[in-house]
Amino acid sequence: MRQTERQTDSTPPQPENRGSVVKLEAAPASPWRRFFLVALTLGLIWAVLTDFRLDALAFGVPAVLAGAALVFVLPASSAWRLSPRGALAFALWFAVQSVRGAIDVALRAFDPKLPLRPGFRRYTPALPAGAPRVLFLNTITLLPGTLTAEVSGDTVVVHMLDTRANLEADLNALETRVAAMFALS
Amino acid sequence: MLEFLAAALIGLGTVFFVAGTVGLLRFPDIFCRLHALTKADGLGLALIALGVALLADGAGEVFRIALIWFFVAVAGATCGHLIASYARRVKAEADDD
Repeated sequence: MRQTERQTDSTPPQPENRGSVVKLEAAPASPWRRFFLVALTLGLIWAVLTDFRLDALAFGVPAVLAGAALVFVLPASSAWRLSPRGALAFALWFAVQSVRGAIDVALRAFDPKLPLRPGFRRYTPALPAGAPRVLFLNTITLLPGTLTAEVSGDTVVVHMLDTRANLEADLNALETRVAAMFALS
Repeated sequence: MLEFLAAALIGLGTVFFVAGTVGLLRFPDIFCRLHALTKADGLGLALIALGVALLADGAGEVFRIALIWFFVAVAGATCGHLIASYARRVKAEADDD
């Protein structure tokens, strides 16, 4: 994905005042430190997924090492912080939206008339590159009627099931919520 | 009672999987089909995972189900995006010829 290439333009000035803001990740650490952090996280996930079975490590250790080795290939993500309240609000809103999106597409699929008016629209998000932008792009796909089709530079090409819907308003709302989750506003 | 609720959730999840498949078969092009797969199957999996989690014994199992759901959801959105951008590139190259 394109946005990882522009991690140098980093995060915009952020307010320091909010007491509810948690700093989750420090500025990009050294590659080896990141390697061990990622390996630890992946190892923990593997252990939970396999119910801490020792014989599963035959697959787990190579997979974890290979996954963690990707930090040497991929650029470091820029630092980000999370607002717990924004994240909770986002999770609830996201759950409702993905249910709406699924019901919408299911009704269209079952409808004998097949009510579609598909097409592409462009949109330029104001969100900074990195985690906020990635979350924004991935969430578009689960909103009702929209799908991230292509990312070129700062613009995203969105495929819509019905081009009469108000894309601008929907994506502006999504951006506001992502910004709140990352304590950017 | 819990079994009944779990069965209802799993049944409803199956309906969404069927909807995703119907969309895959009926929708006119690859982009519309991706909508059906990513959205309908995503909710289908979430409902089935919820139903199964109700029947699970132990927090470890519930956590494992949640992890599986999370990874499938992220992979679904990312794969949808990759397939769509590939389809657009192929289409653009075909238009150039």
